[in-house]
Amino acid sequence: MNNKELAEDLLELGKFYFLNERYEEAIKVLQKAQKLNSSSADIYYNLGLVYEAKNSLHEARSMYLKAVEVDPHLALAQEHLDRLVGK
Amino acid sequence: MKHFAVIGLGKFGFSVAKTLSEKGCEVLVIDSDEEKVREASNFASQAIQLDATDEDALKKIGIEDIDVAIVSVGENLEASILITLLLKEIGVEEVIAKALTSHHAKVLQKIGADRVIFPEREMGIRVAESLVTPDIIEQIRLSPSYEILEFTVPSNFTGKTLKELAIRTKYKVNVIAIRKKVPYVNDEGESDFKEEINMAPDGEDEISVGDVLVVVGEVKNIDALRKEK
Repeated sequence: MNNKELAEDLLELGKFYFLNERYEEAIKVLQKAQKLNSSSADIYYNLGLVYEAKNSLHEARSMYLKAVEVDPHLALAQEHLDRLVGK
Repeated sequence: MKHFAVIGLGKFGFSVAKTLSEKGCEVLVIDSDEEKVREASNFASQAIQLDATDEDALKKIGIEDIDVAIVSVGENLEASILITLLLKEIGVEEVIAKALTSHHAKVLQKIGADRVIFPEREMGIRVAESLVTPDIIEQIRLSPSYEILEFTVPSNFTGKTLKELAIRTKYKVNVIAIRKKVPYVNDEGESDFKEEINMAPDGEDEISVGDVLVVVGEVKNIDALRKEK
């Protein structure tokens, strides 16, 4: 399995943890995924979500920024970023 | 529904008028600058260009039917004072005036303004408070000693129910709502979360990471609760 595929699997795992509100575990695997594939906007977006969900807004913002930097068309990341402005 | 008038379309007046309109209120906007009036006519129910220090002009447009008038005339102290005075004389029930200095505020109060606001100062205080205590989301003073406070829960609250935390008995503070972020997968298969508000929390409700508590109580009791972490 190459790094990209592994990152993809870790992303899925991260999403699973997120859905179950296990935010610390989600962050751990998503950070691992991000190290294996630093050009995935989706991984940054999901990391941003987890941070936002646990109210770490500063970290959330920087992850969303990275997500839109990698993929300017990722509308969801842009939406979340817009909502965080001024918070 | 109340009828509002916003007099003076600077940045402050403009955003007051726009927000009121967005909330479905009838808003009459007045400014002496034609350009500003035109811009506001996009959302306001009525936008009129006139000199609001002219008593006859104000009467002619039926200003006495307005329930709440916001005087947000920017730099011109004299105009702001005169307009406030005229509005009260004409019989506008509630006049809210924007003050630039504390002297200005005193005068406005003396001549009958029902409420005097300092947008810059108030915003400054809020920004400063939010920097010192970033976990406070909203703070509403009900009176000098009572407030409603919205804050993110400290980590030692998570996993416990309201009953276990015993906030009411320990701190004499009432939890009136819990805001939760609930993760879900949207139609495109992307993860996201939505905010749900529990407006009637009971003892069995459990606090999770990232929750926001809305509490009401005495300021000193709320402060004691917030030190608990």
